[in-house]
Amino acid sequence: MQTNMTNTMTDQAVSTGQSVQAEGNQKPAMEVRGLSFAYGNNKVLRNISLQIEKGKITTIMGANGCGKSTLFSLMTRNLNPRKGKVLLHGKNIQNMKLMDMAKKVSIVHQYNSAMDDITVEKLVSYGRTPYMKLMATESEEDKRIIDWALEVTNLSKYRDREVGKLSGGQRQRVWIAMALAQNTKILFLDEPTTYLDIRYQIEILELIKKLNREYGITIIMVLHDINQAIHFSDRVIGLSEGKIIVEGSPSEVISTESIQKLYGIKLNVATVEGQKFVLTV
Amino acid sequence: MPQRNRKQRGVNRRKGHQMNEKTISEDTGFQVLPSEGQLQDRNRKQKRVMRATISFVVVILALVILFFAAINIGSLQVSFGELLQGLFVKRIENVATIWDLRFPRIMISMLAGAAIAVSGVLFQAVLKNPLADPGIIGISSGASFAAVLITAFAPSLYFFTPLVAFLGGVVAFFLVYCLSWKGGLSPLRIILTGVAVNALFTGLASAFNSMSGGDMTGVASIVEANITQKTWDDVVTLFPYVAAGLILAVLFIGECNLLTLEDKTARSLGVNVNTTRIVISLVAVLLASIATAIAGAISFLGLIVPHIGRILVGSDHKVLVPFSALAGALTFLLADTLGRTIAAPYEVSAAVIMSVIGGPFFILLLRRSTKYAN
Repeated sequence: MQTNMTNTMTDQAVSTGQSVQAEGNQKPAMEVRGLSFAYGNNKVLRNISLQIEKGKITTIMGANGCGKSTLFSLMTRNLNPRKGKVLLHGKNIQNMKLMDMAKKVSIVHQYNSAMDDITVEKLVSYGRTPYMKLMATESEEDKRIIDWALEVTNLSKYRDREVGKLSGGQRQRVWIAMALAQNTKILFLDEPTTYLDIRYQIEILELIKKLNREYGITIIMVLHDINQAIHFSDRVIGLSEGKIIVEGSPSEVISTESIQKLYGIKLNVATVEGQKFVLTV
Repeated sequence: MPQRNRKQRGVNRRKGHQMNEKTISEDTGFQVLPSEGQLQDRNRKQKRVMRATISFVVVILALVILFFAAINIGSLQVSFGELLQGLFVKRIENVATIWDLRFPRIMISMLAGAAIAVSGVLFQAVLKNPLADPGIIGISSGASFAAVLITAFAPSLYFFTPLVAFLGGVVAFFLVYCLSWKGGLSPLRIILTGVAVNALFTGLASAFNSMSGGDMTGVASIVEANITQKTWDDVVTLFPYVAAGLILAVLFIGECNLLTLEDKTARSLGVNVNTTRIVISLVAVLLASIATAIAGAISFLGLIVPHIGRILVGSDHKVLVPFSALAGALTFLLADTLGRTIAAPYEVSAAVIMSVIGGPFFILLLRRSTKYAN
């Protein structure tokens, strides 16, 4: 029942292109409570709690080894917490079925691979897996959402192309389209701009922004580039040594001091037209 | 002009997806042509479909022709009319002999060939390794060792040979999987471990063959992959397992496709990757083991057939699995028929033929591709 409701809501967003950002900002989309994790004796996360606001772009940032990848893996259920829990709409994700979670949360991982000779359309259609019944064929509904995912990511004209023939930027868009085909309200992205030329980095980030602004999808991502994180996020969560050091809207929390705490280097922060820039040279 | 419009849209609908780009502007009737790139993509797609269709037709035709040729190759020969008469109308001595001697081995060749080729496809999907072959990674020899044990020591349990062989295959697969796991599965490590496991079980099987005097035809026929003496009983034993294995393989086509993605990605789509991998592995082991129990250990078949299949019909398991089943049946039957023709009246076993052809092919694949070996 609940799943149906979620579907209908997103469907409306799909068909009208309206922002659904306004509704229900009170309850967090996801919540992390007292999360701890360690590899052996090496403590990576120490008692972390945070909330992911609905309809916002949240970026997890920090230096190498600060625990941001671990936090990402725990929130996407690729690792199991030692202590604490991750809640999705108030439910512990550990107790959810993978299939049910895949209908609520989609994830674009950093490394991806596929058969070279599969077409873009076919690969994107894999995003419908959580909705597929055994041996069933694609329904009209499936086709409509796949078409929508291709359209939004600007891939419609490449639908018949083999994935092996795409450029890096196009391929990244295919993985995003596959996640979109899952028709979820929450989208995770792990360093979605790595390995891409700057032009494609911006293209991908603009696409992510569009998904958030036009379709109300809650975005949680890990970004390496400080300025891109500031520029494209509503909220940033900065980690250092397994603890949250910085949390809030980038214009408020980014400063020379907070950057020094996060990355251990003193960098000037300039403000141009109300927008903060960390001078990374 | 409007008529043309309707026709165009009809074509689009039949192709199974709505065109997103506006192919035709409704109000003006002018056509907005798809870009050159799109046309090229569609052309290539059509060509791929065409090539796949032709490949299926050719393999099926070749299989039918070879089937009838194989019936008639040997010291006894009958005409086609005689054959039909002997099979369906009245008893003809020559046809009856062929029915008892040649039909079983033809059926076994086809069933075992289909089973081994599909098993190869499944192993390659599960291990993410295009070089995985039930023969090379030791599954067949594990199964054959178990079959030898039961044939030598408990011949009365002959009926259970396929099940015991399956257990042997599972043990071999478990060994290969665990021993080559080191924070992940490297394609090369799987092959190397597999070679060692294969050597171990092949050695054990030979040892037991020698210890049992080497003259027990049952044991020897498994070790040497000799299917000369097979009867209809063997066909009846083999058939239900192969049929079950192939049906299961078809049921897991979608999962095989999803396993070609990174594990994390498949998991984010709601697939329980570990469970899926274990279940598909068991199907693959089942197919390889029962084929081995009846027809003996055959190397390279499970490697060559899927590889050629990927070139001809593509990597989508929806077409690759059925194609490999057909092409596997064709290849094994061809190897067996060649084996009993080239040095008649002496016979060269299909396994030997496959090794002689498969070895160089395997080396060629290793040398040609940088992708497999790192």
